[in-house]
Amino acid sequence: MTDIAKRAREITSLRDFLALLEEAGQAITWSERVMPEPDVRNVAVAASRDANGAPAIVFDNIAGYPGKRTAVGVHGSWDNIALLLGRPKGTSIRELFFEIVGRWGDAEAQISYVPEAQAPIHECRVESGINLYDILPVYRINEYDGGFYLGKASVASRDPEDPADFGKQNVGIYRLQLQGPDSFTLMTIPSHDMGRQIMAAERTGLPLKIAVMLGNHPGLAVFAATPIGYEESEYSYASAMMGAPIRLTKSGNGIDILADSEIVIEAEMQLGERVLEGPFGEFPGSYSGVRKAPIFKVTAVSHRRDPIFENIYIGRGWTEHDTLIGLHTSAPIYAQLRQNFPEVTAVNALYQHGLTGIISVKNRMAGFAKTVALRALSTPHGIMYLKNLIMVDADVDPFDLNQVMWALSTRTRADDIIVLPNMPAVPIDPSAVVPGKGHRLIIDATSYLRPDPIGEAHLVNPPTGPDIDALSKKIRVMQGGASA
Amino acid sequence: MSETTCPRCSSAGAVADYRGVEAGALIWTIHRCVVCCFSWRDSEPPSAIGAGVRSGDFAVDAANLDRYPKILQQ
Repeated sequence: MTDIAKRAREITSLRDFLALLEEAGQAITWSERVMPEPDVRNVAVAASRDANGAPAIVFDNIAGYPGKRTAVGVHGSWDNIALLLGRPKGTSIRELFFEIVGRWGDAEAQISYVPEAQAPIHECRVESGINLYDILPVYRINEYDGGFYLGKASVASRDPEDPADFGKQNVGIYRLQLQGPDSFTLMTIPSHDMGRQIMAAERTGLPLKIAVMLGNHPGLAVFAATPIGYEESEYSYASAMMGAPIRLTKSGNGIDILADSEIVIEAEMQLGERVLEGPFGEFPGSYSGVRKAPIFKVTAVSHRRDPIFENIYIGRGWTEHDTLIGLHTSAPIYAQLRQNFPEVTAVNALYQHGLTGIISVKNRMAGFAKTVALRALSTPHGIMYLKNLIMVDADVDPFDLNQVMWALSTRTRADDIIVLPNMPAVPIDPSAVVPGKGHRLIIDATSYLRPDPIGEAHLVNPPTGPDIDALSKKIRVMQGGASA
Repeated sequence: MSETTCPRCSSAGAVADYRGVEAGALIWTIHRCVVCCFSWRDSEPPSAIGAGVRSGDFAVDAANLDRYPKILQQ
């Protein structure tokens, strides 16, 4: 095992990862004094121009927030993702894709529990007089956001109807807008696990308690953003991918949380209540609208001494959002397609959560690539997100856009482009005429394949004539002689 | 016009949620509109919080809050 691979397996926290990144020149401390707005946003955007090599940035001199720190861009480049996976800087995206694919479901989860009294997350605890602004150096992520957002929080929650089930406990990244010192709104949709749990709680009147983890193990942050099954555990997946234990402890309100997170906010949903939320500069690069969202009341906060508030820049790409979830959007689609179609050789769904996807496939028969495309649209992620699909041959690397453009230029026939109207769509797609519904595009850029040479069809000529007529009559007579 | 008028919906009566203080000096204040739920810091650039400067595309009509959809309806 290389030294980098060994170091990656030893990561248990954001601090561990920042130390590894700093040694590799992939994290810098920005000590020049900045205003929360617009300086933090400007620096984050400037860094994210380099999707391959952008460093994480830790701000430690923010006007009005003496002694507080905030980190952005922790997963903001392919080099940072490579180091997380124990691979050297410069590893190609294609190699990283197959690194993740190779680890997908390949290892056993290792979950360990740390007693609450020994967990670093509980070093400091606030249970009364809570003011989140005392702890979080927030800033407006995009200029016209409706408020101050926590954009990279991993929200843990138990299924309100089956709270003892570890697998049904969900961990997901949802945008949270502060709504005063001790309240926040959470935006989700019914197809997300969190949306399902909110609707279940409001249907049954059961309480919904959550734990909002900020500044987390970088492997967990990746899986909190990955579309896995409802009854599957993000903690287990993160452990399996890292090939190392994940340390959990209990939050004060009884939820499994990472023992080494920087900050955990415990909160309870106010059943049936909604307040205005948004807009927010979202991953398609446009603002979502203003909607009425569920509101949560904060009941306690735990945090490490001198905590680091980790946040994200998200907006018009390329941003950390894309490097955080790009490969973990591609890998499950690939795994699901391969169950039916081993001819699929790679899936690139890096672009804005897979709004555009590129799939390479060995054509089994004429038109086969389009069949694979239709299957991709019925994968869990494809149902809402895969809007534009480009199908290329296996000799084209879907991660090399020069090769993809070559295939588009030389192998596309206009009558092999399909538009599927009025399909489900992610509601924040700005191109939709009606939010939540839209057209899908399949471009078959695979090379032309002739149909199998099965020959011309010739008509079958069944026997006819008086003899057949007589036989038919005889059969009816025989039928009539039978008892009813 | 009150200094706590909301720059997004023009309602009066916004509350102060937090003050950024360094060595006893006030650096900025975070305000929140209780009508349209907009939060802002008074040190932000006029393009974001300036009356008459901020883009009208992002205004909220305080007299017509029913127009905004409710998510996760049963």
